[in-house]
Amino acid sequence: MKDFIKYFDKLDFLLLLGISILGIFLISSAVQDSSVNYGLKQSLWLTFSVILFFVIMKIKTDFIFKSSFLIYLFLIIILIFQILSNKIISGTKSWIKIGLFNIQTSEFIKIFIALILAKYLEKINVIGWKEFLQIFIIIGIPFILIGLQPDFGTAFTLLSFFATIFILKKIKKSIILSLLILSLVSSYISWNYILKDYQKNRILSFLNPGKYKKTFNYQSIQSKIAIGSGGLTGKGYKRGSQSKYKFLPIRHTDFILSILGEEFGFFGISFLFTLFFLFIYRQYNTRIQNNRDFTFIFLFTTIILFQFVINSLMTVGLFPIIGIPLPFVSYGGSSLLALFMGEAIIFRINLNNFLLNE
Amino acid sequence: MFTSKKNFSPEYIHKKSNIINIIILLIYIMILFIFWNFQVVNYEHYKNLALMNIYDTVKIKAPRGLILDKNNMVLAKNRINFSLFISISRSKNINNTIHNLSKLLNIDEEEIKLRINKYKEYPPEYPIIIKRNIKLKTVIYLKSHKNLFPEIEIKLEPARSYPFKKIASHILGYISEIPRTFLKKKEFKNYDLGDLIGITGIESIYEKYLKGKKGEKTVIKDSQGIIKEELSSTPSISGANIHLTIDFELQKFIENFLLNNKGTVGVVDLSNGGILALVSKPNFNPEELSSEISYKKWLEILNNPDKPLTNRFIQGIYSPGSVFKIVMSIAALQEKVITTNTFYNCFGEINIYNRTFHCWNSFGHGMVNIYSALEQSCNIFFYNLGKRIDIDLISKYSKMLGLGQKTGIDLPNEKIGLVPSRKWKLKRFGVKWFPGETISVAIGHGQLNVTPIQILKLISTIALRGVIKDFHIIDYIEKDGKIIYKFKTKERQLPIQKKYFEIVIEGLYRVVNKEGTAISAKIEGLDICGKTGTAQIISKRNVNYKKLVKKGKFKPHSWFASFAPRNNPKIAVVVLIENGGNAGSIAAPLASKIYKWYFNK
Repeated sequence: MKDFIKYFDKLDFLLLLGISILGIFLISSAVQDSSVNYGLKQSLWLTFSVILFFVIMKIKTDFIFKSSFLIYLFLIIILIFQILSNKIISGTKSWIKIGLFNIQTSEFIKIFIALILAKYLEKINVIGWKEFLQIFIIIGIPFILIGLQPDFGTAFTLLSFFATIFILKKIKKSIILSLLILSLVSSYISWNYILKDYQKNRILSFLNPGKYKKTFNYQSIQSKIAIGSGGLTGKGYKRGSQSKYKFLPIRHTDFILSILGEEFGFFGISFLFTLFFLFIYRQYNTRIQNNRDFTFIFLFTTIILFQFVINSLMTVGLFPIIGIPLPFVSYGGSSLLALFMGEAIIFRINLNNFLLNE
Repeated sequence: MFTSKKNFSPEYIHKKSNIINIIILLIYIMILFIFWNFQVVNYEHYKNLALMNIYDTVKIKAPRGLILDKNNMVLAKNRINFSLFISISRSKNINNTIHNLSKLLNIDEEEIKLRINKYKEYPPEYPIIIKRNIKLKTVIYLKSHKNLFPEIEIKLEPARSYPFKKIASHILGYISEIPRTFLKKKEFKNYDLGDLIGITGIESIYEKYLKGKKGEKTVIKDSQGIIKEELSSTPSISGANIHLTIDFELQKFIENFLLNNKGTVGVVDLSNGGILALVSKPNFNPEELSSEISYKKWLEILNNPDKPLTNRFIQGIYSPGSVFKIVMSIAALQEKVITTNTFYNCFGEINIYNRTFHCWNSFGHGMVNIYSALEQSCNIFFYNLGKRIDIDLISKYSKMLGLGQKTGIDLPNEKIGLVPSRKWKLKRFGVKWFPGETISVAIGHGQLNVTPIQILKLISTIALRGVIKDFHIIDYIEKDGKIIYKFKTKERQLPIQKKYFEIVIEGLYRVVNKEGTAISAKIEGLDICGKTGTAQIISKRNVNYKKLVKKGKFKPHSWFASFAPRNNPKIAVVVLIENGGNAGSIAAPLASKIYKWYFNK
């Protein structure tokens, strides 16, 4: 216990907690006159997440890696079940109802993909066709299932795993070339056969803002106005006209950053970004020697960074609105819970490392 | 960047961690730079856009001015009513909304759709008025079920009220929503879609005084157009009050007397040309037309064969019949075609230009001069004048005395009528005038067409011995107790000798007071002078004349144009009863009642 207190990464944990609490404040502002108290709900989720965080930290890392494949399979089965049962809550099929809260399976599967990949890549330095195919299947199956729900935002974030692998490992040139061709073909197919009209319109309005002004680009324009009108210091907490008078769409989830920008201005944005990048920086600079653990930290941190950047760009109209929440800040119990679970594993790895070096 | 090394161990990457950190730093700086660009560099731009989102100016409707009669009786006023608006942006399903409204307000769905469609160029949060004058029961229901209908808004609005319903409707006119086509015109630039505007009558002609000035409110609204805060407001300025020369009691008296007869009556104050009463029957209920009238109801009114929307006094076109003999008399005397000593013998009929013309009295009137010809309304006498006075000269005197042209009364859409002439016929039909036609014109038939108000002008000019006074229905316009406009009567003298007027007036006096055609109008002690007229609708020579007339539809219209007293005349009255038949038995007695009412009050 003494060691735990000594080597537990208190600064990182405080950063996480700080960012999450800031999120609760912003959510409360976003839904000022909603009948549902999302701020309170999110605080309950955070409490629950922190408890789970410490519970998971108790579990041995090896055990987690060992059982990761089983849980992965279990989650895949749930995903299939969800698609088949056609349970529609809030427009998409990605929610499965448990008690009072809604659980989003796709948020959790990210952790286990990262765990499996890390374990698999432990012994591999050069990725050939065989290895690539296996990685492709591990990521591809949930990718397709999540995409079918349809939750393109979450599916899209899974692609960041490829990016991490490309950075960490050596890959055959022929694979890179085929991937390029594959992505072109698949985007053609998904445009013509898979994407729904409203999704196409969102992308079109992003590429050609003038033409789709009033309808599909409306959310993007209002978000830009919110952020831009915040200025250097912002309009004050709960005093942003864009959010208060409901010009901002989906304020408490995907556009939570717009509220920060409107009510706390550039200072508020810089504050959050600094906290976040400090946290990311510290995660990447881990001193772990174990190849497996190291890969997991990289995979998981990159997916968080990826979501963070995409969401930021989305709020200023530099990326299509595809439904990616801001990690730790946006409202959403599943997302918060999954993030804390993943972080618990990372914190445990780092703790192990210190105890080992002792 | 790491591809040069064979073994990608954590140690290797730790060594290269500077590169990763630089990448992270670059992303951090890039994103901050993007936000800096939005929040600091382009702050003004987005600040203004945010303000434009929430600020709005809402117009406050001004109460319309009142319309009052000469005794300050209020004929058109304002009341408060509940109006129902909807905002498309707040509707979850517009078809449901339309369906609900249709059931709630008892309006056709199609009609609501048409209404909404009118506003398609407006933003979706713009409140569209669906119905004015909502029943209190409906208002209470909607207010208590507010959450069921977020798109519906009930507002209190000034509405027009005409306390005497149908009475004086043709004078007052009515108000209705401004037609979309008007809005593009410069003169209507202060109007918005859904605003009310005077359509006919005084409401229309004095619109610019009545309408007042809209007020303005600066408000903060949310994305659905719901007003959250009121920042400042300029109050509306109510319209000016219009005071008419109409004597409402007289108007009411005449309307009640006419009952369901079709016809029209005008009474003018000869001292100033102010109209005291102007009745046209059938009439309409202006309050009904001023609220949201259904399309079906509207068509019903438009297609009514009795044309209740036509103000017969200024828009009805009729043959003047024997009333025109007054014009013939003045022309003949002034042109020295006859004197009081000129006699013609009436045998009941006469052959002119190889055609037989009849007098209404087939036994004949014997020897008649101008006095007895007017008194008896002898056709033969005037046929003879028609033979001796050229049509262009008749035309000249007709126009001089006010026929065939607008009187300039301050009511909209006055008709002109027609006074035929050689030039007119050549232009209209490309053929020359036949002298035989002049014979028909001489007794007020043929192509001659007049409006009742022109006859009122004619009889007034006779009564005033050649002085023409402009007619008007407005007395003055008053705002906050100050008179901002007062009608000034203009008058001019016709170049016709006074003594000829005296001769005609003697004839008209005999019509009522001796053995004349309007002896039924006589009032002891009041020297009423007048002339009856019977305007044939179909030719007497038609073989089926008697049969058709019996049906009533082709019964001739009856005229009575009169004034009293003979010297220093006070008022002139024109009565026209459609299909009234013999003038002496219906039009003249009504005029008599009016005089009795007026001089006994």
